[in-house]
Amino acid sequence: MMMFDIQFYSIFLQIFFMASYQLNINNQQYKAEAEPDTPLLWILREWLDLTGTKFGCGVNTCGACNVLMNGRTVRSCQVQVRSCTGINITTIEGLSADGSHPVQRAWEEMSVPQCGYCQPGQMLALTGLLNQNKQPTDEQIDAVMSQQLCRCGTYHRIEKAVKRAIELSNQ
Amino acid sequence: MQKIKISRKEFITSTSFAGSGLMLGFLLPGIKAFAQTTNEPCEFFKPNAFLKIDTKGSITIYVARQEMGQGVNTSLPMIVADEMDADWRKVKTEIAPFGSLPEGSHDTGGSQSVLTDFTSLRKAGAVAKTMLIAAAAKLWNTTPDKCAADAGEVVNTVNMQRIAYGDLVCEAAKLEVPKEVTLKSPKDFKLIGKEQRKNNLKDILTGKTKYGIDLKIPGMLYASVERCLVPGGTLVSVDDSEAMKLPGVVKVVTYKGTGAPMHVRDGVAVVAKNIWTAMKARKLLKIKWDEGTKNKQNTTALFQQMVARSQQKPTIEKFKKGDISKFATTPSNSIAAVYKAPFLAHATMEPINFIASVKDGVCEVWGGLQLPDWTVNELVKQCGLKKENIKVNLALMGGGFGRRLHFEFAIEAVKISQLVNAPVKLINNRTDDIRFDNFRPANVHRLQASWDAKGTLQTWYHHVLSTSIAVMTDGPDTKNMAENLGGADSDFYYDVPNVTTGYSHVDFNINRGWLRSVEICMNSFPIECFIDEVARKLKKDPLAYRLSLLDGRPMFMTDEGPGAMKQYPQRIANVLKLAAEKIGYSKPRKKNHFIGVATHSFIFAKSYAAHAIEIEMLGPKKFRIVKVVGAIDCGIVVNPDGLRNQMEGGIAFALQQALKGEITVVNSRVVQDGFNGFELLRYSEMPPVEIYTIESEEEPGGVGEVGLPTVAPALCNALAAAGARSRTLPIRNEGFEWV
Repeated sequence: MMMFDIQFYSIFLQIFFMASYQLNINNQQYKAEAEPDTPLLWILREWLDLTGTKFGCGVNTCGACNVLMNGRTVRSCQVQVRSCTGINITTIEGLSADGSHPVQRAWEEMSVPQCGYCQPGQMLALTGLLNQNKQPTDEQIDAVMSQQLCRCGTYHRIEKAVKRAIELSNQ
Repeated sequence: MQKIKISRKEFITSTSFAGSGLMLGFLLPGIKAFAQTTNEPCEFFKPNAFLKIDTKGSITIYVARQEMGQGVNTSLPMIVADEMDADWRKVKTEIAPFGSLPEGSHDTGGSQSVLTDFTSLRKAGAVAKTMLIAAAAKLWNTTPDKCAADAGEVVNTVNMQRIAYGDLVCEAAKLEVPKEVTLKSPKDFKLIGKEQRKNNLKDILTGKTKYGIDLKIPGMLYASVERCLVPGGTLVSVDDSEAMKLPGVVKVVTYKGTGAPMHVRDGVAVVAKNIWTAMKARKLLKIKWDEGTKNKQNTTALFQQMVARSQQKPTIEKFKKGDISKFATTPSNSIAAVYKAPFLAHATMEPINFIASVKDGVCEVWGGLQLPDWTVNELVKQCGLKKENIKVNLALMGGGFGRRLHFEFAIEAVKISQLVNAPVKLINNRTDDIRFDNFRPANVHRLQASWDAKGTLQTWYHHVLSTSIAVMTDGPDTKNMAENLGGADSDFYYDVPNVTTGYSHVDFNINRGWLRSVEICMNSFPIECFIDEVARKLKKDPLAYRLSLLDGRPMFMTDEGPGAMKQYPQRIANVLKLAAEKIGYSKPRKKNHFIGVATHSFIFAKSYAAHAIEIEMLGPKKFRIVKVVGAIDCGIVVNPDGLRNQMEGGIAFALQQALKGEITVVNSRVVQDGFNGFELLRYSEMPPVEIYTIESEEEPGGVGEVGLPTVAPALCNALAAAGARSRTLPIRNEGFEWV
């Protein structure tokens, strides 16, 4: 009975009150004091100034806020900070600082961006896919990349960059 | 009928381009005759407001036009660097500080940047080069005519001695700035015409690029704003007791809206220490709005009203040639058709946001603004500020497309900052961003054409109806309301002896604004579909028929006087021929494959583009786009890579509008509230595209908007070839499906 109460109390505390969170982002430790329900998106952008992760919709419809959590693509607007501890988080700033990651190199070779705002999310969507499957089929690529919106309409170049990134990743 | 001729370009010009973009930095007041009079210690050489060279030879080029993805932060520096024979690898760019150039220099819209600035930027580069050469000549005890510039160095052409620009900085800075400079011959261009990747490409790919939404200033608070869903609605009361209970909420403030030009709505702003708290607390507000009397309008009724109105005489006659009434029109020698297109949102990926800090009447703002001078002038009027007390910091935009030609968000942010006496970053969520956009007007067109016994076109009538933008921005008495350019004006390019075009505004309570290609898109769709309908009715090939009305037709001036523009029917024909050739128009087609074409002139951007689209029909109204070919003639091409990117992206932007893009209104409320309602084109929907360019030595034209207008008509003409014409956009509303 006592155990239950303590557990209940701690969950109650976690949900409703400001707490301090240790986050492992791009292999660095960060600390953030925030309400437990604060989306990781805003922690990254406004608390930690990792602004490469973009706010596009906040409701899981555009993919601009993609990050990697233990290597898998996750929409950071959909993850609350309280569930982010103990996970390796990679943002665009950590994919590689110098742009040498195969996906970034492919995007550079194909000169993809126009405004560039959605591109970190585009690149992390593909990276998450390639982390699971080094040779995805066109259908698998379509399924992932079609969830990523680009208003400038750089899809033609994204498609070329996807193909090139797969080549580079398998070299 | 009133007779008024004012184009969008002139409108933008008259309202905001107070200064001339062609003025040169070195001719401006405040710029000294000598580049730098005191030069101890010597650090850099800055002959004008556009560029700076330091002693290491690193060149900074200041870009006044705003970068929003269209590539000006690469193309404009290329123009300067080419003329100064700079080493492109040593060039970096910065946003030219607001206030460092004459009013209007930062204005960015209408695909005008390259074509407006081409000569002035070349002169700015030539001034630097001339002074560097003079400095080298002085150093070598020779004359400038014995020196030449080459890739960031000056060369002594007699003894081939070389010296880097960086080593000439201190000498050059002591020299008088020349009043006259000689420009290169275009054949000597080294950078212009060669592919360059975006200047900030690496920063974009590593997440280092800072857009307006990424900026932070000390002590900054965050605002999330509740606005009345009905335009013109007023705030009755707000109960913020629940919202104020959330830890981190600083204040809830209210402010009154404004009228023209920007129609800021009454607002209730939750100001908090972080954006998440502001967004959460906003949901706890209990607000009563007075929606006013215009709260029952809907777009279905608007279109019915517009179609009914289209049968009457236009309010404004725009263009008249010959006399259409003198030719007898019967059902057998004529056709008529009505076309419709909806309101459209900008939906930039970066949601609207803006930072303002007002303290003791001193105001500083940060963010993307396509018309910053007009913004400042309105901040003076709407927020009780003095012009000299407003400092603007321009920021990169995550997409523009005309959204930030409007600046209601800047007025809102300043008002909120004034009320909380602290710096505030206003962020719209995606729902706000869509609902409170300034929409591309809904439009309806009635066209009629007739021909003689030989099948030669004799009359052309075009009545354009829309919910005018100018009525929003200038008020109901505006003289600029017609939106007819793109062929429904004196720029009409087909050779027809009797032509009448006109315009009627139909009022509707929703905010309207300029969206990429605005009126040119609105008018190209019906014109390029209707000419196709005429051809088909006359049993002629639509491509050959168009060319018969264009090929060999000489250049003509659209008007008399200073507003006149050149129209080149031949260039319109040439891009059409190129697109048709590259898609294999004259080759045998596979079963169920059909090709549609469309062409146009983007008259005030001095560019011409055509599209040819091949589709495969999979059912009566089901199709797949096999390929889209775009052809453009924009004169001298500055950056071919940037040009192609704009044209490719333009296809995606225009396909979204052709297939599914639409804003609808019910009870004066925008129905769409995000990307689920206002759907963008997706990766899997992007067809194969090819872009071809006409080689030209004509003066450079703009490219940002030119790739859109002919996409929707080319698609609809392909569908018509298959027997399934749609005269309504988006075609999804007509039951079309695509895979």
